[in-house]
Amino acid sequence: MNVITLDNTLPRVFAGREAIPSDVWQCPLSLHRGTVYLVTAESGSGKSSLCAYLYGYRKDYSGTIAFDGRNIDSLSVGEWCEVRRRHIAYLPQEMRLFPELTAWENVQLKNRLTGYKTDSELRGLFERLGIADRMNSLAGKLSIGQQQRVALIRTVCQPCDFFLLDEPVSHLDEVNNGIVAQIISDEAIKSGAAVIATSVGNNLNIKVGEVLKL
Amino acid sequence: MNNPLLWKLLRRHVSKVQTVGFAIANIVGLTIVLLGLQFYVDVLPVFADEESFIRKDYLVVTKTIGNGAMVGSLIGGTDINAFSDSDIADIEEQPWVRKVGRFTTTNYRVSASLNAYGRSMRTQMFFESVPDEFIDTKNINWTFDPNSKNPEIPILLSKDYLALYNFGFATSQGMPQLSESMVGKVPFSLVIQGDDGRVVRVGGKIVGFSNRLNTIIVPESFMKWSNEMFAPGVVTKPSRLILEVSKPGDVAIEKYMKKHDYEIAGDKMNSSKANYMLTIVMGIVIAVGLVISALSFFILILSIYLLLQKNTKKLQDLLLLGYSPSEVASQYVKMVVWVNMAVYVFGIALMLYARSLYMPQLEAFAICGGSLWQAALSGFILIALITMGNIIAIKRKVAALWYLEK
Repeated sequence: MNVITLDNTLPRVFAGREAIPSDVWQCPLSLHRGTVYLVTAESGSGKSSLCAYLYGYRKDYSGTIAFDGRNIDSLSVGEWCEVRRRHIAYLPQEMRLFPELTAWENVQLKNRLTGYKTDSELRGLFERLGIADRMNSLAGKLSIGQQQRVALIRTVCQPCDFFLLDEPVSHLDEVNNGIVAQIISDEAIKSGAAVIATSVGNNLNIKVGEVLKL
Repeated sequence: MNNPLLWKLLRRHVSKVQTVGFAIANIVGLTIVLLGLQFYVDVLPVFADEESFIRKDYLVVTKTIGNGAMVGSLIGGTDINAFSDSDIADIEEQPWVRKVGRFTTTNYRVSASLNAYGRSMRTQMFFESVPDEFIDTKNINWTFDPNSKNPEIPILLSKDYLALYNFGFATSQGMPQLSESMVGKVPFSLVIQGDDGRVVRVGGKIVGFSNRLNTIIVPESFMKWSNEMFAPGVVTKPSRLILEVSKPGDVAIEKYMKKHDYEIAGDKMNSSKANYMLTIVMGIVIAVGLVISALSFFILILSIYLLLQKNTKKLQDLLLLGYSPSEVASQYVKMVVWVNMAVYVFGIALMLYARSLYMPQLEAFAICGGSLWQAALSGFILIALITMGNIIAIKRKVAALWYLEK
């Protein structure tokens, strides 16, 4: 997948509002593979909605969103599964880890689906992010910051054309922000992927190609 | 995909109590269905075999011989107890009648003589015939050819006659008891005396025994030929009819018989009723089993819905990771298949156990039991249908979780 286009897209809850000052809503917008986008937003401006639309689990919007020119409304469930396994790597704001599984099992749950990373590569990531000692802890017992790092590792367990990161470092300190940014940057360069990162203030410490105001 | 992590995640909230509850309910339902079917198959020979003690759906009807009729027959011949064409037409019109057959009697004198064990016997006798389709004895040579070199009349005897001889006459007179096959080997000759004084000697052979026809039966073709030959021009009306009825236990039959002063031979009406009631009871038992199975099916569906409801967030998160709805659903599908397979195995085992309890009782009636595969296959089809219903419900429910908002 090379390009995601939005054409006159607007969450239905915003319908009726006049002149929304946004680089995304109600605008023609193209997101290209290989570029880093920072989507800045205020709370309630539809940032998580944008991610949900691009990841295909909500379609309460008007206008059009297309992958390589194909309206995503026409994608079948099977095609969406393929998108989620091979083309878009998504880190949700609420992480969506399974609290009853360990950190390692949470990561494995994704990696077994894609077979993308080796166990040693995954251990390396746990170590880089300073949570190697929590690998066998239940995700529900981890701090929010630790959970965010586990969710990040899980996100990079797949090949992709677009990283879709919803406030990826909202619970991380500067040091960990830098490590996460480096990991994402390395992965994006390796696969030539784009990065779409949203933020309400705590920006991912990455070299941004284009800033979009939501 | 065999992914133990998925099952580890999704087995939470699987209620053991609900699963066991479903399994027990379904085992009970399935066992009742299986047992009903198996019992039906086991006693089916009784229904299907015309030779058996429950005569299926044939009734032999005569007019009641009261004192008046007796006197009448002395004066006016036998026709007074015979069925007229209009009587027969009226019977044929009854809704419970499928077919009506007339008993034809010989209009000439006939005697039989036999030489066996060094003794010779001679007796006057009579023959009757019914249309071939009412003959219940199978695999017999039931033809008569007057033009053959040594014409031989095939004869069917009532089983009761043999029993009467073996257990009444033979034992008290010190005569040998006879088996059916042995009787068939005894050659005897028949002497037919025509109205014109003609006497013809012809061979006879007992080819079988009948449970349905309580008389001495010869082929209808022989009866026609011999009556024309030895008593030309004599027409007698039938005094006995054989009816094939659709519902043997029908009250309407009894009412009709009473109204017209007809009699049904033997206790056929009662045994037919027994047969009819047995079929109904069997139907009720199987229906109860099916209802219990259906209810248990709904218990499982509700239980699955509850389970999916409790695990909704987990299932949605798995879908967001890229798992397909069918991969996610397959965990619960596997569970349902295993539970239902166990239900089937237990159902069959319980049915076999119950069968082992009732079979000795049936064996007392010389019933050795039917095969097991019909009940086993029916149970399998039932459990397969239940499983398919469960699988469809699971898949639809999981598929419905795909969009958080549409």
